[in-house]
Amino acid sequence: MEIFIQQLVNSLSVASVTILIGIGITLIFGLAGIVNFAHGEFLMVGGMITWFLVTSGLNFFAALLGAMILVGALGFIAERGLFRFTLERPMNGFIMSIGMSVILQHVVIRIFNEVQKTIPDPIGKVWVIGGVDIIAMRGVVVALTAVVVAITYFGISRSRYGMALRASIADQDTAALMGIPVRRYVTGVFVYGSVLAGLGGALMIALFPITPFTGSVVIIRGFAVSLIGGLGNVGGAVGGGLLLGLVDGLSAGYGFPEWTDAYSLVVMIAILIVRPQGLFGGTLGPRST
Amino acid sequence: MAASAENSSKEKIVAAVAIGLFLVIFPWLNPGYRYLSLAITTGITAIALYGLGLQFGQAGIMSVGHAAFIGVGAYTAAILSGNVGAGFWVALPFSILLSAFIAGLVGLPSLRVSGQHYIIITFCFCALLNIALTNGGAFTGGATGLDVGSIDRIFEINFDQLRNAYYLVILALFICVVVIYLIINSSYGRTLNAIRENEPLARAVGINANLHKIGVLMVSGALAGVAGILQAYYLHHISPALYGPFPSLYLALMVMLGGARLIYGPLVGAIIVNFLPEIMRLDPIDSRIAYGVGLLIVILLLPGGVSAGLFGAYRWLMSKRQQ
Repeated sequence: MEIFIQQLVNSLSVASVTILIGIGITLIFGLAGIVNFAHGEFLMVGGMITWFLVTSGLNFFAALLGAMILVGALGFIAERGLFRFTLERPMNGFIMSIGMSVILQHVVIRIFNEVQKTIPDPIGKVWVIGGVDIIAMRGVVVALTAVVVAITYFGISRSRYGMALRASIADQDTAALMGIPVRRYVTGVFVYGSVLAGLGGALMIALFPITPFTGSVVIIRGFAVSLIGGLGNVGGAVGGGLLLGLVDGLSAGYGFPEWTDAYSLVVMIAILIVRPQGLFGGTLGPRST
Repeated sequence: MAASAENSSKEKIVAAVAIGLFLVIFPWLNPGYRYLSLAITTGITAIALYGLGLQFGQAGIMSVGHAAFIGVGAYTAAILSGNVGAGFWVALPFSILLSAFIAGLVGLPSLRVSGQHYIIITFCFCALLNIALTNGGAFTGGATGLDVGSIDRIFEINFDQLRNAYYLVILALFICVVVIYLIINSSYGRTLNAIRENEPLARAVGINANLHKIGVLMVSGALAGVAGILQAYYLHHISPALYGPFPSLYLALMVMLGGARLIYGPLVGAIIVNFLPEIMRLDPIDSRIAYGVGLLIVILLLPGGVSAGLFGAYRWLMSKRQQ
């Protein structure tokens, strides 16, 4: 039982990072209508910034904030400077984001190097709860993710900004006539998703080493999570992240560990073909091709 | 009007002959080992790019998993040579057919989902194939891959000599360009354009869009198969890393960079990406960055790619001169 609870917390902390990236993608793809293939690189950049700040002597949580702000700024520049011009032709935006992911990856290699980076465990404590040892940092990661999920969920479903956002997805022209600054909302969603990627990167490097190529692994899982959950559906992304984590955990324990990555791909292809709106329902993403 | 049409067709022939002539005499210009081998790689890449350019430029179906079909061609050749002892010329039709078949199979979802969703499917498929090749044990050689021998001599031509390998690739490229040219300018090409521009309308006037979409994807896959078998026999060793998601992304970027619609677009893209870093003496990291920045600039400023940009500049110069 103790081992099971330990495993549960471990899997949850891994799933947390996946959920954060999945929420970012689900919002940007499903609500802003932009497919950002560089989103995984945003996460990697967030992790690298955290690493850099921590190794230059900053507290981890200050570094985490720094990563969120800087990656948010990166998202702002990318949206205003690049994606803004391809909103009419999402396909071009998609290709452009591939170019951007190549650039970010190699700029990071150029500035640092391609060796994997780690930071020491920021808390370095082990909580003993009911006789179960839990690494404190993992608990913090899960808790932070839960808070972010709650804020995002209620922000979109309850607040007036969330309502305005959903209105501009449902009918852009009418929403604009009602005085909703649609373009500004697109930017806002993009920056918010980028901030979450920064947070995910910071939390990820607290758990595992990160290399400049981490982003390309993470992005596939992020797309899988957001497509399983349904685009634009925050709760769905959480469900998708937990489902994927469960499948991965089970396959690593009972199946063929070398095929672990294949399951999420197969699930994603199947869902895209059979239920493009995702298991839990959502938007179909940008309508035009 | 008639005069200008005649003029432009004359221009086309002159351009084609000039490019063809340059490609034929290239090995005699003393390019050295490095540039000649680079030219071979470029030619092989260009063959695959023509397939991708056809499906994206004419039918509007993009793919970021195209390296997978090159991989199918290459692995077909390597496995046939390793297990059955079949040489290049025997394996060639099998590589082409199997790549085309797999491309058609992967294309089936494109009938149901479109746009970005289909692109993500192609990416997933490519990653999936990569995992399968890596875990394939002795059959696919695992992560280290397979060794491939030499191309059987015909008429005593030794294709291990770089110059002969170059001519083989150029011949294949030439055939491929001719095929693409004929497709683009046939009624079949115009059917594809109709599907690209307005699929519901194309269906409404009785075009069997499903059939043509799978058809064009199979042609594209067949060209990837040719590129794959040429690559396998040129490199003498193949591994899954050559055909993973990353090479696929680069193929997609090359097509966008060169331009998918014009006949020389894919060739221009392949040449820029392979030769420019060498000429400008960039190291691999800087050249990747330059490559990405170039792509952003092309998409924002020259949506038709570099080839369309060059063509437009040429047109503009000519009209200036006539005034």
